[in-house]
Amino acid sequence: MKLYQLVVKDIMRRKKRVLYASLGVVIGITTIIAVLTIALAGQTNIYGQLEKYGANLMVMPAISDIDIGLGGLSLGTLSVGENYISEDKLPEIRQIADGKIREALGIEDEGNIVTIAPKLYVNTKINGTSVIVVGIAPQEERLVKTWWKVSQGKYLEAPDEALVGAVAAELLKLNVGDAITLNVGEATITGILEETGSNEDYQIFVPLETVQKAFDKEGLVSSIDIRALCNACPTSDIASAINENMAGVRAIAVKQIAETEMGMLDKVSRFLFALAAITLAVGCFGVVNTMTTSVHERIKDIGIMKAVGASRNQVMKIFFYEAIIIGVAGGLLGYVTGTLLAYIVGPLIFGGVAISYAPQYFLPSLALATLIAVIASVYPAFRASRIKVADSFRSL
Amino acid sequence: MLEVKNVSKVYGEGTAKVVALNNISLLVNEGDFIAVMGPSGSGKSTLLNIIGGLDHISSGEVILDGKRIDGLDENALVDVRRGKIAYVFQQYHLIPSLTALENVLLPLTFCGANNGSQKALAILKRVGLEKRAEHKPSQLSGGEQQRVAIARALVNDPSLILADEPTGNMDRKTGKEILALFGQLNREGRSIVMVTHDPEIAGYAGEVVVLQDGQIVDKISQKGGNKC
Ligand SMILES: Nc1ncnc2c1ncn2[C@@H]1O[C@H](COP(=O)(O)OP(=O)(O)O)[C@@H](O)[C@H]1O
Ligand SMILES: [Mg+2]
Repeated sequence: MKLYQLVVKDIMRRKKRVLYASLGVVIGITTIIAVLTIALAGQTNIYGQLEKYGANLMVMPAISDIDIGLGGLSLGTLSVGENYISEDKLPEIRQIADGKIREALGIEDEGNIVTIAPKLYVNTKINGTSVIVVGIAPQEERLVKTWWKVSQGKYLEAPDEALVGAVAAELLKLNVGDAITLNVGEATITGILEETGSNEDYQIFVPLETVQKAFDKEGLVSSIDIRALCNACPTSDIASAINENMAGVRAIAVKQIAETEMGMLDKVSRFLFALAAITLAVGCFGVVNTMTTSVHERIKDIGIMKAVGASRNQVMKIFFYEAIIIGVAGGLLGYVTGTLLAYIVGPLIFGGVAISYAPQYFLPSLALATLIAVIASVYPAFRASRIKVADSFRSL
Repeated sequence: MLEVKNVSKVYGEGTAKVVALNNISLLVNEGDFIAVMGPSGSGKSTLLNIIGGLDHISSGEVILDGKRIDGLDENALVDVRRGKIAYVFQQYHLIPSLTALENVLLPLTFCGANNGSQKALAILKRVGLEKRAEHKPSQLSGGEQQRVAIARALVNDPSLILADEPTGNMDRKTGKEILALFGQLNREGRSIVMVTHDPEIAGYAGEVVVLQDGQIVDKISQKGGNKC
């Protein structure tokens, strides 16, 4: 029988106590793992979005809200500006965008560089249900929406064809080949999109001119998606150039949104992390407490062990081995409960973000838990090693 | 082999001061069986603890095989406990979470011996408990627990066994058996110093030391000693 075997045997017969002792570590590791897992999921989500949309910019009509009032009386706000952008502005936008990229990448070629996908949103009723119909430039839209997949039928080409989002098709009971009425126009469904998880699922896509004609909005678009060549393209510069040089429109690069989101995430994570660290520190005191109690409860046992030849170091070792077992058990349990907690709480914090467990945190959480348990045991173990045999028997 | 020379032990200070041992001298030779008797509080346990290095003395000398062991630090005392001297207590002092066999193995574990199971089993057999090896102390009777404790004391093959009222918690019959076991150990050549109130001891001990108020008030040598 080796010393560690002695500890293991002893602990196996006191499982409940050990579990109780590791509670502090469990709680600390649980919160840390939960926070890290959630933060990681948030980050992965943003990076995923960046990968998908990172090369994109959006141009929208510039609308500003103005406070109106008489003297000191506020009468509310008034939205000033157009709801649409004129198609005439497309060439100028292209010029600015292509120009910036040429400048940045040193391209001489005179051809088109960015993909410009204008769209027009209208609200209409189909089969008695209100839906959003989006007028698109089919070829350009396809280049921008790289993630689109047609699940049934084919992608739209002709002016009287329509593509339906997955949820819209289900809600409106639309199938490939069905005809839909668009105000004064008409279109036939040629394809249904695979679910994308965004609001595109609820929309119906029809060629731009068809929508413009049917809803009497010739020459107008609601927004313009621009896809630059590469993720590294200066989309933020393009956005500022458009904002500086053109009136009535507002451009924003997806990267900027992602950066803002990342900053937010960073702040939230840091706050949560601080909380987790406090929990861990409190948990640490818990371990000190239970270890001290354990020493107290076992004064007699320690006295016996010393009487039959245990040295001070061996008594300390016994408590450190115990701490290691408590730490590993606590770390294991904390990792599992922390991951579970992340799965439950994560989606509540970052609405709908998919949590996935983080195996890279497994060993570090065991190591951290063990370290804490061992550190928390230093003083109790030291106390135990100083117990005098004669006193330990008399104290009972 | 062991000499206690003018030893005093004082607990506490001022008004709480207790003189547990007052200038005591005692010689334990190879193969001796010494019984320590005396009223409660007379200092018997204190004397035993001091002989075995479980407690420090206030003044005097304790000499084991020509070397002073009083004043040794903990680490040096560990060697004394692992080798020549072993203890048996009135309350058995077994570790409740360990089996009889594991309790007997304990001293070997602390010595760093890797496998002593055979040895420990043989010793358990010797005290008549080979069938109880896997039992916990709580599943054993008082007499059986004391046998386990004796087996544990024997596992390091000590030349001096210190026993503090080893039969104090037992009925007469069991106590007699335990005493007989000590008698056997003594006949093997081990020295024994035993605190006891048991009148049967007269049949085993070669010398009876009577303590009162921390002083030796009587020393009775018994010629016959260890009978049987
Ligand atoms: N740790 C201690 N602190 C104070 N007094 C003690 C301590 N240990 C023993 N004593 C006192 O020393 C005296 C001798 O005790 P002890 O050796 O246990 O006697 P015995 O074993 O003969 O009954 C008693 O008066 C006891 O109260
Ligand atoms: Mg006593």
